[in-house]
Amino acid sequence: MIGRVRPLVLWSTRTKRLLVILMIVAMLLLFLFPRQTQFLLQHLGRPVADVVSIPLEMMAGVDRGVRNWWNKYIAVQGIYDQNQHLQSRIQELEGELNQLREQALASQRLSALLEFQEESALPTLAARVIGRSASNWYRGVILNKGEDHGVAVEMGVVTPAGIVGNIVKVASSTSIALLITDPNVAVTGLVQRTRDEGIIQGTAQGLVRMKYIPPLAAVKEGDAVVTSGLTGGFPRGILIGQVLQVGEREGDLFQTARVAPVVDFGKLEEVLILISPQRAKDTESIENVLTSPEEKPKDS
Amino acid sequence: MKTGIFLGLILLLVPLQATVLGRVSPFGIRPDLCLIAACLTGLLTGQVHGLLLGFGLGFTQDLFSASDLWLNTITKSGVGFFAGLIAKNLANAASHSAFLLMTIFSLLSGVVFLVSSRVGMELWDVLQGFPSILLPQALFDGLVAVAAHWVITRWTPESVSLYERG
Repeated sequence: MIGRVRPLVLWSTRTKRLLVILMIVAMLLLFLFPRQTQFLLQHLGRPVADVVSIPLEMMAGVDRGVRNWWNKYIAVQGIYDQNQHLQSRIQELEGELNQLREQALASQRLSALLEFQEESALPTLAARVIGRSASNWYRGVILNKGEDHGVAVEMGVVTPAGIVGNIVKVASSTSIALLITDPNVAVTGLVQRTRDEGIIQGTAQGLVRMKYIPPLAAVKEGDAVVTSGLTGGFPRGILIGQVLQVGEREGDLFQTARVAPVVDFGKLEEVLILISPQRAKDTESIENVLTSPEEKPKDS
Repeated sequence: MKTGIFLGLILLLVPLQATVLGRVSPFGIRPDLCLIAACLTGLLTGQVHGLLLGFGLGFTQDLFSASDLWLNTITKSGVGFFAGLIAKNLANAASHSAFLLMTIFSLLSGVVFLVSSRVGMELWDVLQGFPSILLPQALFDGLVAVAAHWVITRWTPESVSLYERG
């Protein structure tokens, strides 16, 4: 057994004791004052995150290369059929696109008229997904843009297809977005056809459901669900998904619907972060307050 | 040398967990390499090393995880420490002991995560975490721990052991 052999390198007993005491004190602080120590440790951990993000980006690059190679040369079964299907789909969509262009132009004019232009014109920042949250308990993705690029907590993350999630942690060069399939994310949604509001929340199985739909709402399968613009760092109108099933039980105060997200979270590679100027400003002002001379003790 | 190995493990395992491991995750469940490393280190080299490596791995994992309560730091340190303590009382830390310990520790740390990540949610949502994440991950962790234990004990010549009993 390994444990019974002579060691090559030793830490001195004193160093070892000191390290153990430090660990125990740190853990006690984490356990007793989780919220207070979180802010401190988040800042202390930033250099560590920066160092670890180097091998992380390297591994993500290798992973991407291998996946691309695999998809191009190995996993090509059924490509011909898929190609045929996509060709016909493109033709259908081109027709729809023309109609939508017309509608979009009309919508632009109307939104300008109603002074909603600001809501739909949030600046975005493109980011690459370089990893998945390092724990099975939270459905999140690691993005290659962080505080240095203007990213702040609570900013929304989307793809051209629809909503992805929210930024929950930010380091200098990376950030973590929690996906809407995680039960800890809640966004207000709107059934596009009926204009009924509800709360969009992830489930333990990695799906999405819409809760608190008014009992008289005539929501049905296939209805599109979009963001309502009230919470979650998203402007109004970003597609979330389509209603799969509406659960209506006798005696329930509200209806609940299962929603199929439009974004394929398993194949997420690039995303757009919605840079909300207000949130960035809020973060800056909080940091200014925390570091302002007035806040420092007078004897220092 | 030992510090180098610990740092190397941290720089290797956390990125591996966040990137490549996503491709080898049956049913969307990945083994928790950091938990396995902390447990095996405690089991094979003692509670102090288990605690220190567990702390380092957990802290780094927390930086790249969406969790916000530094649970990885606490659970991984605890697992490393207690695995070392239990190993002291084991006559022979064989593979089946590694499997049993790893599975139990994975279940316990999973319960901590389950409870903390589902605070305020309906009981059904909390219970769903058992079959969908907790149990498969514990089993997966146990199996990977056995394989890693077998490789370490078979392939590491006794004369070049890098560790000491803590």
